[in-house]
Amino acid sequence: MSLKPRKVDFAATWGAIRDTIRGVITLDHVPRSVWNDRFSDVYSLCVAHPEPMADRLYAETKQYLIDHVARLLNKVQEDGEAHLVKNYFTYWSQYSVGSQYLHSLYLYLNQQHIRTHKMSDAEIIYGSPDSSGGEQMEIGELALEVWQSGMIAPLGLRLVKLLLEAIDADRAQKTLPVSIEAIRGTILSFVEVQGYKKKAPLQLYQELFEEPFLNASGEHFKHDAARLLQERDVSLYMEKVKVKIEEELFRARRFLHSSSLAKVSQRCETHMVAEHLEFLYSECMNMVRGERRRDLSNMYDLLKSVQNAMQILVETVLEHIKTQGLTAVGNLQGENVHINFVENLLTVYNKYKQLIQEVFKSDQNFMGALDKACNYVINHRPNGGKCPCRSPELLAKYCDTLLKKSSKGISESEIEEKLAQSITIFKYIDDKDVFQKFYSRMLAKRLIHQQTQSMDAEETMINRLKQACGYEFTSKLHRMFTDMSVSADLNNKFQVYLKQDNIDLGINFGIYVLQAGAWPLGQAIVTPFSLPQQLEKSVQMFESFYHHRFNGRKLTWLHHLCQAELRLGHLKKSYVVTVQTFQMAILLLFESTNSLTCKEIRDTLQLNTEHFYRHAISLVESKLLWADTEELKETTVLRLNMDYSNKRTKFRITAAVQKESQQEVEQTINSVEEDRKMYLQAAIVRIMKSRKVLKHNALIQEVYAQSKVSFAPSVQLIKKCIESLIDKQYIERTAHSSEEYSYVA
Amino acid sequence: MSENSRMDENDNDKKEVSQEKMFTLKKWNAVAMWSWDVECDTCAICRVQVMDACLRCQAESKKDFYGKQDCVVVWGECNHSFHYCCMSLWVKQNNRCPLCQQEWSIQRMGK
Ligand SMILES: [Zn+2]
Ligand SMILES: [Zn+2]
Ligand SMILES: [Zn+2]
Repeated sequence: MSLKPRKVDFAATWGAIRDTIRGVITLDHVPRSVWNDRFSDVYSLCVAHPEPMADRLYAETKQYLIDHVARLLNKVQEDGEAHLVKNYFTYWSQYSVGSQYLHSLYLYLNQQHIRTHKMSDAEIIYGSPDSSGGEQMEIGELALEVWQSGMIAPLGLRLVKLLLEAIDADRAQKTLPVSIEAIRGTILSFVEVQGYKKKAPLQLYQELFEEPFLNASGEHFKHDAARLLQERDVSLYMEKVKVKIEEELFRARRFLHSSSLAKVSQRCETHMVAEHLEFLYSECMNMVRGERRRDLSNMYDLLKSVQNAMQILVETVLEHIKTQGLTAVGNLQGENVHINFVENLLTVYNKYKQLIQEVFKSDQNFMGALDKACNYVINHRPNGGKCPCRSPELLAKYCDTLLKKSSKGISESEIEEKLAQSITIFKYIDDKDVFQKFYSRMLAKRLIHQQTQSMDAEETMINRLKQACGYEFTSKLHRMFTDMSVSADLNNKFQVYLKQDNIDLGINFGIYVLQAGAWPLGQAIVTPFSLPQQLEKSVQMFESFYHHRFNGRKLTWLHHLCQAELRLGHLKKSYVVTVQTFQMAILLLFESTNSLTCKEIRDTLQLNTEHFYRHAISLVESKLLWADTEELKETTVLRLNMDYSNKRTKFRITAAVQKESQQEVEQTINSVEEDRKMYLQAAIVRIMKSRKVLKHNALIQEVYAQSKVSFAPSVQLIKKCIESLIDKQYIERTAHSSEEYSYVA
Repeated sequence: MSENSRMDENDNDKKEVSQEKMFTLKKWNAVAMWSWDVECDTCAICRVQVMDACLRCQAESKKDFYGKQDCVVVWGECNHSFHYCCMSLWVKQNNRCPLCQQEWSIQRMGK
């Protein structure tokens, strides 16, 4: 066979081609040799000399397909409506495969003749002025086009009606009138027949089938919802709706094109959920209160599909957590209020966090509700806001209990775990600076009285706070630790100094030197006291050592914080007792006399009334001293108890002073206000220094943003601080506006 | 008394000795507080306590001052005292003590 163009007899060649086409399109057997000959024939016609005959071949082929489909249309309808779908599917299956073979047979025509004439993609999408006319298609597409106009156009509506009936039968669990394969194949033929279309390839499927299907399904869902609603049981309804949605998705997967799945569930949700929200909400409160997990999980799944429907459930959950939280911490009483408070809160927090993770799939809306509820409970002021919020104090006390030496019976890792958990509560506290106040007071006591369980644990905890609140928040706490290490160093150097000069103090002396202002030790710390002679040398030597090393400093001895170890030699056994300095001073007076009146002791030691009685009482209560009256008065005579005995040979006398008194709590809260002013002023200076000029509102906003980590300042307070900085000439109002400030360098 | 207790400290394991003494002071853990030796607690320039850092240093505290007091106190010949930072800015404008108007000259610095 020559590829050279030559004269061709069209009628004869087309006759041969037509006979073969019949076999190809009906999937009849076509021998290889015949196929090859026809393949060449198509070529010959396309390149025929002198005139190519491609257009004639195309026209004849098209006519042949039209006639063929017209014959099939009759055959499909031959057996009546009952067999329409089945017959359609049978012939479609044959035709669609046959047309692909045909497409291959016409390869040369498709590639050389039609492709070159075809519109570009852009022309297809944006339309072209001459797209309506006798545009030629590739043979595969032509075959499908002929099927669509010759078969689907006349038969479509009848087919769709039957298809919808079949799907209804499937819903009613009746036997299907046609095979699933035929139903699905027929439906998908509406997609496949447009397989060559680049623009809106699903349009026919959607208009002819999907839309009627969705409308019919919508009616069905409405009807189904009405039926289920009659049982008036929300739990049951939700269960059934969930099953229903699953069923419909399963059905859609079985029969429809995948693009319809989302639309099916959306219709179902509209008619079965969105249109019955009131009914669902009616049981919301009970479900939440009863924490009915399965119901809540169903409710969540259903509401999620409807826009804005979740809010009511979210709010109900929020209110519930609030109530549970307030109940958990309301009316706490007794010694362990702080422990109960924190641990009960954590129980509530952990419980609902878990519930939200499991039931609401950690949905941000619910996590947000948990945050809001915790924030409300933790910052709640009892008595309609009249009482101060106790959370900062109680949480600090909780940490104190864990960090103190005395926490017995729980392991180090358990303590670590509890401290880590306490940060959860801490993060919700609004007045973090109040917490910091209490925390630092308690830390100070732990450090001074050597009650710290482990320095590592202290450090870890402060790092946690720093992480949550920033460096500034913990810098004051760090200053205390710095003093502790500076003091350790001083003690060593002092010992060296003593050795060098061959000085013996007569006692084992140790000291903490604290920086004033860095330690929250309260007001009026200096009390009159006449120092026992045994301590004088220590004080003198240390002072001269200290002043030698530092310039311009003065030392104030905090006797109420000092402790002494005293060996008691007047009893049957020898004891070592740890006492505070004032208690020691009282005891030492009995070395030279048997009995003293309260007034005599007080005059000798020059102690103020409060200090004297507090410590004298502690000695009487511990039975080291006898008093001759029930209550201590000026004239009460005190004498040593020479019959004292104790199972332990080493013990400690504690006076009431170490307990956090109500007065101290109030003092702490009051000192917060002063600190806030200082904090805000520093913030304003910092901001103005970097911004130079700033409008009033912008300044207020920046200050607010910076202080938020620690507390929420009132605008009033910020204004006050601005005024006071203007007074001190750190900033000034600019010339052109009283609402604008500039930094004074 | 202090003589005896010193001896006692050396042999405090011998009970016979200690039983003769009524009280023996073994150990004293003292606590003292240091502050600048000033007449007035507050710096008259920035009106912050001299024990605290001055307002400008506090504003910058975000980065440096790790608990250590960089913002020291300075005493003039007139014995008035201020933050060193505050005074060094002040003398650029006016070389007199803000409190007594005497010519400012440094008597000593805190350390
Ligand atoms: Zn100052
Ligand atoms: Zn400074
Ligand atoms: Zn002066």
